[in-house]
Amino acid sequence: MGIGTYLALAAVLFGLGAAGFLTRRNMLIQLMSIELMLNSVNVVLLAFNRAYPGNHDGQVFAFFVIAVAAAEAAVGLAILIAYYRIKKTIDTDDATLLKY
Amino acid sequence: MHVEATQQILLLLIILFPLGGAIINGLLGRYMPKGLVTLVGVGSVAVSFALAVASFIELYGLGNEAVLAYHFYEWFSLKLPSGDVVPVNVGFLMDSLSGVMTLVVTGVGGLIHLYSVGYMGEDEGYPRFMSFLNLFMASMLILVLGSSMPVMFVGWEGVGLCSYLLIGFWYENRDYASAGRKAFVVNRIGDFGVLVGMFILVGVAGSFEFADINAAAMGGQFRPDFPIWVLGVAPSFATVACVFLFLGCTGKSAQIPLYVWLPDAMAGPTPVSALIHAATMVTAGVYLCCRLSPLFITSDVAMAIIAVTGTLTALLAASIAVVQREMKKILAYSTVSQLGFMFAAVGVGFFAAGFFHVFTHAFFKACLFLGAGSVMHAVHAHGDADIFKLGGLKKDLPITRWTFLASCLAIAGFPLTSGFFSKDEILLGAAAQIYRPDDALMTFVGWFTLVGLTLAAVMTAFYMFRLYFLTFTGDYRSADQSGDHPYDAHPHESPRSMTIPLVVLGLGALVVGFLGLPHVMPITGTHLHSWWSKWMHSSVAGQPVPEEMHIVNLASGLAFGAMAIGISAAWVLYRNKDTDALAEKIPARVYQLAFDKWRVDELYAATIVNPIKKVATVAGHADMTFVDALMTRWPSFKVRETGRILARLQNGVVQMYGAVMVVGVVAVLAWFWTPHSRIEAGFEGTNVELTTPQGLGYEYRWDANSDGEFETEWDEAAATTFDYRYDDIRGVAVFLVNVRSGIEQRIDVTDEWRPLPIESVVSVEFLSPRDTGFEVRLDGRDLLFRKPDGRTKLSGSKEIRLPLGKDGRLGPARVFSRPLVEATVEVRNAFGNTRRATKEIALPFSLEAPSHASLIRPTREVAR
Repeated sequence: MGIGTYLALAAVLFGLGAAGFLTRRNMLIQLMSIELMLNSVNVVLLAFNRAYPGNHDGQVFAFFVIAVAAAEAAVGLAILIAYYRIKKTIDTDDATLLKY
Repeated sequence: MHVEATQQILLLLIILFPLGGAIINGLLGRYMPKGLVTLVGVGSVAVSFALAVASFIELYGLGNEAVLAYHFYEWFSLKLPSGDVVPVNVGFLMDSLSGVMTLVVTGVGGLIHLYSVGYMGEDEGYPRFMSFLNLFMASMLILVLGSSMPVMFVGWEGVGLCSYLLIGFWYENRDYASAGRKAFVVNRIGDFGVLVGMFILVGVAGSFEFADINAAAMGGQFRPDFPIWVLGVAPSFATVACVFLFLGCTGKSAQIPLYVWLPDAMAGPTPVSALIHAATMVTAGVYLCCRLSPLFITSDVAMAIIAVTGTLTALLAASIAVVQREMKKILAYSTVSQLGFMFAAVGVGFFAAGFFHVFTHAFFKACLFLGAGSVMHAVHAHGDADIFKLGGLKKDLPITRWTFLASCLAIAGFPLTSGFFSKDEILLGAAAQIYRPDDALMTFVGWFTLVGLTLAAVMTAFYMFRLYFLTFTGDYRSADQSGDHPYDAHPHESPRSMTIPLVVLGLGALVVGFLGLPHVMPITGTHLHSWWSKWMHSSVAGQPVPEEMHIVNLASGLAFGAMAIGISAAWVLYRNKDTDALAEKIPARVYQLAFDKWRVDELYAATIVNPIKKVATVAGHADMTFVDALMTRWPSFKVRETGRILARLQNGVVQMYGAVMVVGVVAVLAWFWTPHSRIEAGFEGTNVELTTPQGLGYEYRWDANSDGEFETEWDEAAATTFDYRYDDIRGVAVFLVNVRSGIEQRIDVTDEWRPLPIESVVSVEFLSPRDTGFEVRLDGRDLLFRKPDGRTKLSGSKEIRLPLGKDGRLGPARVFSRPLVEATVEVRNAFGNTRRATKEIALPFSLEAPSHASLIRPTREVAR
């Protein structure tokens, strides 16, 4: 399998994540979509690392991405819970307090 | 001739002590106990006085030719139009003139500080008062001791500031605050005069130092005519400078036309009136005239103006003082009048006599003001005291009464008191002017001054004793408490801190005149020794003192007669009386007009103040409608509107933001999808360096002559050099140049005949018919020119041929052609997309056609 297959997979994953983020209104699903996009990036990093195995930069960066994703998920879920306590909903259409 | 002593640090310390007191009391005074405030306020001036005495003793020991000087530092320097650089030094100087003035300022000032302890001690602003008073002392000492005009001017402005602060000391009262403003604004007019005068002085003398200016004046440097004519005559530099300086003096020393602020200045506390508005600050103008006496004496016109103005002021102010009802107001107009005496003396060339009157006046007028303050303190009068509600105070206030009487005698010129000697000397100067064999102007000024001052002296004696009799003799009119707003029924003598200064100043008013005995005794003709004129001789110029008996007798007789008439009239009309007897003797309208101060304030309001106010109102409206509304509010309104519209984009929906971001990312990617490039050419000899901006991840290959074959392989280098040959030429670029101005223009030339637009680089009027009307076309790589009318034969043939690279001259224009080549670069980016960029380049040199030998194309050498 060439690197193109991996990249195609990553592109598909990223597209799914982006589409999900933009179209769904459930905050929990949006957070999951973000995870999907981040993981597609991980796939790209690992694929390149496999194609050019001179060093392990790609794998190291994949770990960084995972760590950031974990932190982001924690913060995002905390915001979600706080938001739910105020609004009794997790629909992003109602989260428009920061408009003009 | 001057004996310069070495650096005298004492001169600096004399100033620094009151300045330090002002800073301490001003910043910390409100947190300190009252005793400490008193110690700092009075103590600093006392130390300053002690240092002044020490310096004066040293100066006296060196003789009256000596000068004590202290050079502090160079403040800044000024470049004159002539190219000279004039340093402005902060330096202090004590000579016989400023030495005496320093003693007066610190001595009288110290006594008034002491008096203030009793007078102002209960006021809640006491530390502030002491701070301002100390600051005034420092400023006045800078004014007196400054060795140059700018330093003096710092003091001049400083005392003006302190005057403003102290007049408006009780600023909660709107009238008092506006009196302070009035003083300040009127003084600004005068300060303008001082500045202009100062610039003329430095422009002519090339120095700010008083010594240099006076030396220049004595050397006749101010005699040449001023470049601006007035009334058809050219005044001398001295006249113009002196008139402007005198304008400053009329402001600071309350002369016509700027005297109007001084009577209002009595709104300040009484010690302020005594110190600033009687004894010291208002005499600064006289001091300045004496300081620059060698300059003033060179201008007869300026001197005449000063003498007449002084006399008129003395008369006007005295006539107002005669009918006023309030103690401080009478004393204020008296001060204006006495200042008029001093300027009259200056104007007739008796500077030393004028300054002697400053000296004696400081004692008796300070004593009178402090006495008035003591009376007001005794009867609990606020602001001012109406003498028709007083009377009979000699029983309750014996010390105040006796000192007040002594000062009244002195100011009236009673024989052997101080005012007798100083006023006598002034009248003597006026009389001497009459007999000076100069010209009609001099004689007129002499007569005018002599008669005017005698009348003013009569009125002075009259109003002073009117004041004295109504206040201290007869019965106390507030005793039964029945009148309109009566004063305290039981007056009491003031505390020790107030009476001590009264006694000292009262004694001074009686005896200090003996320092300036007349040169010649009237009647007997005995020659006397005048310490004053001998001491002042070295630092103050002046006319010679006459010794003819008829002049001396005339002056003395007038002075004595004026005093006798004035006091006698007051005795008859007011002694033990309680009504204004004078009001019944003169027409009521004149009385009322004089009581209203001849309506001068109203005249100024109608002619100057109100028009300026109207202009200010108009300007204010213009500011509000044009600047504020049109230029400030309207743009802000528009910005707010735009912002309100754009703010709708921030709708708070996260998906919207995400979508916009995706669109943006896609746009950026799309731009990067294909490479972008352009070519720039640089020339080095016949080599052409082609460059293109380096792009990230771009690779380039060049086809420098655009023949379809790339000379280089793909490479990341964004530049190449190429040596063009004759075969690479793709066309010809034609240029027109204006030889004179260098304007160059490329023109469009084809195979068809078309007019040569020579007018586009050369104006038609510079062209002869020979140079115009050409047509041009390309023939191969050569240019062909012709005249279509056919009448002009050109070098025997109808057409001119100009080969590529050769210059043609048409009058002021030059025409030439350049070979055009075309360069191509192909760019490839990381996505593998390519794009080509081409550029036409006009080579700045010509290319030779190949000879037969080199018809075979040589191999190119291409450098990357």
